[in-house]
Amino acid sequence: MKKVLVLLVAVLLLSSLFAQLGFKIGVVTGTVSQGEDEYRGAEAVVKRYGKANIIHVTYPDKFMQEQETTIARIVELAYDPQVKAIVICQGVPGTTAAIRRVKQMRKDIVFVVGVPHEDPAVISSAADVVLEVDTPGRGRTIVELAKKMGVETIIHYSFPRHMSYKLLAERRDIMEKTAKEMGINFVFVSAPDPLGEQGLTGAQQFILEDVPRQLAKYGPKTGFFSTNCGMQEPLQKAILKHGGYYLEPCCPSPTHGFPGTLGISIPEDKRGDMTYILREVNKKIIEMGGAGRFATWPVPMNMLFVEAGVEIAIQLVQKKVSPTNLNGIKLIVTEAAKKKYPKAELQVRTLEPYKNYYMFIHKSVIFGVDKF
Amino acid sequence: MQKRMSLKDILIANAVPITFFILTFLAVLVAKIPILFLLSEIVRRLSRNTFLVLALIIPVVAGLGLNFAIVLGAMAAQAALFFVVDWGITGLSGILLAIVISSVISIFLGWIAGKTLNRAKGREMITSMILGFFANGVYQLIFLFFVGSLIPFKKTDFLLPQGVGLRNTVDLFGIVDGALNDLLTLNIGFITIYIVPLIFVVGLCVFLTFLLKTKLGQDFKAVGQDMHIARTAGIDVDKTRIIAVILSTVFASIGQVIYLQDIGTINTYNSHEQIGLFSIAALLVGGASVKKANIWNAILGVILFHALFVVAPSAGNRLFGQPQIGEFFREFIAYAVIAFALAMHGWRSRKGK
Repeated sequence: MKKVLVLLVAVLLLSSLFAQLGFKIGVVTGTVSQGEDEYRGAEAVVKRYGKANIIHVTYPDKFMQEQETTIARIVELAYDPQVKAIVICQGVPGTTAAIRRVKQMRKDIVFVVGVPHEDPAVISSAADVVLEVDTPGRGRTIVELAKKMGVETIIHYSFPRHMSYKLLAERRDIMEKTAKEMGINFVFVSAPDPLGEQGLTGAQQFILEDVPRQLAKYGPKTGFFSTNCGMQEPLQKAILKHGGYYLEPCCPSPTHGFPGTLGISIPEDKRGDMTYILREVNKKIIEMGGAGRFATWPVPMNMLFVEAGVEIAIQLVQKKVSPTNLNGIKLIVTEAAKKKYPKAELQVRTLEPYKNYYMFIHKSVIFGVDKF
Repeated sequence: MQKRMSLKDILIANAVPITFFILTFLAVLVAKIPILFLLSEIVRRLSRNTFLVLALIIPVVAGLGLNFAIVLGAMAAQAALFFVVDWGITGLSGILLAIVISSVISIFLGWIAGKTLNRAKGREMITSMILGFFANGVYQLIFLFFVGSLIPFKKTDFLLPQGVGLRNTVDLFGIVDGALNDLLTLNIGFITIYIVPLIFVVGLCVFLTFLLKTKLGQDFKAVGQDMHIARTAGIDVDKTRIIAVILSTVFASIGQVIYLQDIGTINTYNSHEQIGLFSIAALLVGGASVKKANIWNAILGVILFHALFVVAPSAGNRLFGQPQIGEFFREFIAYAVIAFALAMHGWRSRKGK
């Protein structure tokens, strides 16, 4: 009898580990070719809650062209009656349309969207909670960081399509204004659009060739910033080779570009361990003579938005937090961040007038200066 | 013996749709997705995408090949919708106004495209594709730099912070979102059928069938078969080809209005990019070729192509156990079949010689 009881308890415990939610959550991310952080974040939540509770699907690599597929993938999740929440990161075009379609047939499903590409007014009207890096706020912090690093000229690489994103355009304006106040020269350089005819390779080629040109023109105390993910690796490589300063990646994270640029391979068991990754990147950058010239945020924000997004979704479904509870949401996100980087400290505000549009900011770290 | 030969001929002639059907069928078996979801997606896409695919038929008949320049019509439709949004004209009247405005713009754009293609006889497809790229540059210039500065725009919520240039998303919600779809719907279980867009599609099918029987339709066919003979027969070849491109562009613009009212948001700088390639792919999958296309190719193509698009990600996911491989699988299948369709056409036309 005792044996049976023990067995029963063991089975119950085991099954409760995986079935602790009592409902399913859909997680929609890109594939690793578009941005590794959110995909790894989704893998981490699948590991934590089990495949029975988390359904992970991906949107197309060419999400700009294949909006219909994005919509179909999200709507497909809603046909499973056990799915009560869907977390989407990044919120590529089509997300709003998909959410509206799902809400037409299933009002009970909650949506958490990380890094939306669509306009704030549009996405915040459809999703329950939106998580985003404080893009306009970074307009100030990036310039402050540049000043701290001793930069005299800031080169801002972007292209018209990105400048049609409200927050990216606003950040550029704030950067320009702040730079003026601080006596830093601000230069906007138009780069080829990676989604244009030349493709990503054309854009990367341009960065590799343009960095030495700008350094020759503005001198070695020039800091670079680009709004595009695909441009980060060539930018880091060019700065390591020719000099200049790398202010921050577009999507702040220790894993954005750095491992590829520096040739660091991260062992399987250390994948989510940011302290380990930061130490490795730090070591390599000092070794290659880049100390004091490279900065980033110590927490991978896109990965964080997936993991924290799932926690927020669970609490929303269980009605433990409301979508507009600023402190409640901040607490959940900070807890998730501390699991990745124990010293994590996040600031958050909402984008006026949207009470469910949360924007986060973290202090930057400079490799070769800060200790990890 | 003769009967077996003809069966083989039928198989060869329809190799593309048959292959696609088998692939889709296998994918459905593997994917195990809710069948209701699959059906409702296909029905919805039939009402949403068929009009755009039908817009490609006339240029094929008139010997211009696959008209990648339908992107121009799509841009005209978006331009018209932006102004309908700005003027705040909601519902059906908004849609009808958008159709009228976009048709007028499309007639002009189609005329320019037709003129250009007449100067590039024999290279129409690549020319129309490059024309699309070029027009995209002009489109970006207009809507990023002229709107709000040269072109007045009242709704500042849709403009960038400086007050010049449209934002990357224009929301149709509450304005013309679903304005055609919601007029008349038929619910069968969980499947909603939007009748009005389907009436538009049927209307265009009837119109095309009728048109191809008229004098103008016969001219299209004659020009498509041999320009030289058509010219000796007294047909104004250049004019006929321009009319073909204008019609195609106008239909594409109406198709894009139908498409966008269904989607509900306009991705300002990208919504039009996707339609050229996918409409052409659907037509090819339906068994059309660069020289031959009819309405059944379009309808069958939309069903098969979109069915595979819906099921392939889940099929890949089930087969390989990793979500992203599902996506790579879908991409591989979809584009491999487009390449296959084009290669089959090349093979068949060589065999025909």
